Amino acid sequence: MTDAIVVEGLVREFKGGILAVDGIDLHVRAGEVYGFLGPNGAGKSTTVRMLTTLLRPTGGRATVAGFDVVHDAASVRRAIGVALQDAAIDPFMTGRELLRLQAVLHAIPRQEGHARAEELLERVGLTDAADRRVGTYSGGMRRRLDLALALVHEPVVLFLDEPTTGLDPTSRVALWEEVRRLNRESGTTVFLTTQYLEEADQLAGRVGIIDGGKIVAEGTPTELKTSVGDPTLMITPADPSRVGDTAEVLAQFGPAADGKPGAVAVRLAAGAEGIVQVVRALDEADIATAAIDLHQPTLDDVFVIKTGHRLEGDASAAPGSGRRRGRGSKVGR
Amino acid sequence: MSASTFSRTVSVSGMLAWRALILVRRMPAVFIPSLVMPLFILVATSGAFHGISAVPIGTSSYLAFTLPFATIMGAGFAGINAGMTLARDIEGGFVDRLISSPAPRMSLVAGPFTAAAMRSLFTTTVVMLAAWIGQLPPPGLLGTIGIYVMAASFAMATACWSMGVALRARTVQAAPMMQLVVFILVFTSVAYAPRDLQTGWLRTVSDWNPVTRILEFSRTAEFQTMTWAGLWAAIASIAVLMAVFGSFALYGLSRLGND
Amino acid sequence: MNPAIRQTVALARRSINSTFRFPQAWFPSLFFPLVLMAIFTASFGRSVSFIPGFPHVDGFLSFAVTGAIVQGVLISAVGAGAFFAGDIEGGFFDRLASSPASRSAILVSRLCASVVLAAGQATFFLLIAVIFGATVQGGVVGALIVIVLAALLAIPIGGLGVLLALRTGSAEAVQGMFPLFFALMFFSSTFFPRETMTGWFKIVADINPISHLVEGMRVQVIHGVDWQAAGTSLAIILVLGVLTVGGSAINLRRRLEGDS
Repeated sequence: MTDAIVVEGLVREFKGGILAVDGIDLHVRAGEVYGFLGPNGAGKSTTVRMLTTLLRPTGGRATVAGFDVVHDAASVRRAIGVALQDAAIDPFMTGRELLRLQAVLHAIPRQEGHARAEELLERVGLTDAADRRVGTYSGGMRRRLDLALALVHEPVVLFLDEPTTGLDPTSRVALWEEVRRLNRESGTTVFLTTQYLEEADQLAGRVGIIDGGKIVAEGTPTELKTSVGDPTLMITPADPSRVGDTAEVLAQFGPAADGKPGAVAVRLAAGAEGIVQVVRALDEADIATAAIDLHQPTLDDVFVIKTGHRLEGDASAAPGSGRRRGRGSKVGR
Repeated sequence: MSASTFSRTVSVSGMLAWRALILVRRMPAVFIPSLVMPLFILVATSGAFHGISAVPIGTSSYLAFTLPFATIMGAGFAGINAGMTLARDIEGGFVDRLISSPAPRMSLVAGPFTAAAMRSLFTTTVVMLAAWIGQLPPPGLLGTIGIYVMAASFAMATACWSMGVALRARTVQAAPMMQLVVFILVFTSVAYAPRDLQTGWLRTVSDWNPVTRILEFSRTAEFQTMTWAGLWAAIASIAVLMAVFGSFALYGLSRLGND
Repeated sequence: MNPAIRQTVALARRSINSTFRFPQAWFPSLFFPLVLMAIFTASFGRSVSFIPGFPHVDGFLSFAVTGAIVQGVLISAVGAGAFFAGDIEGGFFDRLASSPASRSAILVSRLCASVVLAAGQATFFLLIAVIFGATVQGGVVGALIVIVLAALLAIPIGGLGVLLALRTGSAEAVQGMFPLFFALMFFSSTFFPRETMTGWFKIVADINPISHLVEGMRVQVIHGVDWQAAGTSLAIILVLGVLTVGGSAINLRRRLEGDS
């Protein structure tokens, strides 16, 4: 089995003719972390609900771990682990009780289920809180418990629906680390939905961008970034009166781009490697530089170009994203 | 309180009372229970316990006996509504806006308080009309006034209690607390039977329960057998309730914004 | 053990444990019926022997206790429905649905939990009544009949709660149905005998199945063991059970298939 998830022409139409998912195709290879990126209401959760057998598709087909999600839903459920949005956890139970219950739901024998619960509590760092009611857990603890619950039966494919929405940056990074470790050590395939570009960039081997129920771009983060255009180089000459000369030198390396006042920007046709030639040419023209900025396209740029709008909800993603975004808008229009 | 502060309190309270009454029309889900419940009590209680008419309860009609119970419960609901309106306003930030404005603080409770009294007039009218349809003639002018005044007084007292709870809990989640105390107060008075028929613990409790005198006077108003002694006892009971619940609400108001 | 049975037991235990850990879930089902029973007993206890048509009883408490039991079962079953709706709202239901757990375990476990809680509740209410002077004329057998009927009653009413939960998916909406059930109880002989009612109210109480259900239980307490009356109650429970449990099974299937 090389494809953990195969989706062909998947459609979900809701009452009133709303097409939440409008004919998508996906191939997720076994052992891969696949990031499914899109704004709220793009169709991410509807897709996940169909792949996890919670919602019947109205068109197309999908297999998970080799089983059809409609005709062989029971086999799919045995193969998958699911951590849905908002950490769906009964607040009146303790962490340990929930893990043991989950083991029963997966028909794991009693002794083995108990041992597995202890092992997972240890792994996600909740051993000390195991006998506290989940209602008293912090957001980060709930998500970690949610992840542990999804892992009770050692699933082949793990679905994480917006695993870090609403988490503080520290808890977010801790969860990312856990997902990476899981993928590295057990080879679990991870299907991750997110509205955070940074999350997809950090975790996913490949990324699919969904907007309005359709997949608008797919590939590795690097492929996607390169596909939207060349990096932008911005040179600030030490002597402001030489801006004109600088522009003349840079013109031979690619088309001009918008830059800050007192600086000249150019889109490097040769890619990031071209920077060496630029520096040499400036040297020959005897132009001293005060600053050299190289800006690689980000997933943010990819998103804007492919969908024509920004990713809502990303404002809270990371402190740095605002800055990146400000410059990203110069690229590739 | 100077004359100008007083007139300002009155005008702001008037506006808030108006707002509370308007909200009733805009949020029927909140209002309908407070209208349906007294009607339900009137119909269900008089129907289910019709047999009690055979024993001496001061009237041959258990419907007549139940009517004051229904009007008093309707008034209780009107009072609870005042507390729920205030709690919702605290949650929604409307109260913050008001206390940070120069409007007198007192108007915050005076508004819903007035609205509760007015709403009780409405629920009482509905109950009286329903009883009339059920072949119970209205109890004359004095009796009718007696019933309305008792209901309005009880609505004001329970409004104070509910607003006191709202000012402390500051969330609509506290509504069951408002309801529970009002229900217990009414149910452990003389809701279902007169005191001489009650036995055991209930007799002891109803003797001390201030709602007993209010309900009893309301009943004599319905039966047109009012006495001065009954009126004074009712007034004294209302005074006790108002003093306790009123100071509870005012203390809550004075604490608002201080912690 | 068969995995489906193990799953049902584990989920039923979870429902019971969660109920006990959440006072709002069980407190009203004990408090309101007991308080009403106490108030009615103290209000009417002296009068009943003078009311024409009132069945011969040794005290109003003996008359009232079965009504209180049915009322308690009703409140806790509505609460159970609200709890189930909370599972749907909170996503716990999705966790069950995306696991390979037996589909029927989801419904059956909820009903089993309601049955166990109702049996406990009925026993507790009978004990309280006896402590405060009521006598069960049917003796131990009569008491057992009442407890078993109360436990079985949890199935149709719990099924109704689950049905409403599945249809609305909102705990608040299920809880909001409560006044309706409460009204249905008042328009029956739950609190006072039909023999003392008149006019249209009596007609409503006569056709209200709750009247016959409660009376079939009550006769065991105020009169003595009566298998025929118990059979009537059982028949009502069965008919209601088929309707509500069947309805919730259909709706559960629909929700699991994601068509709702």
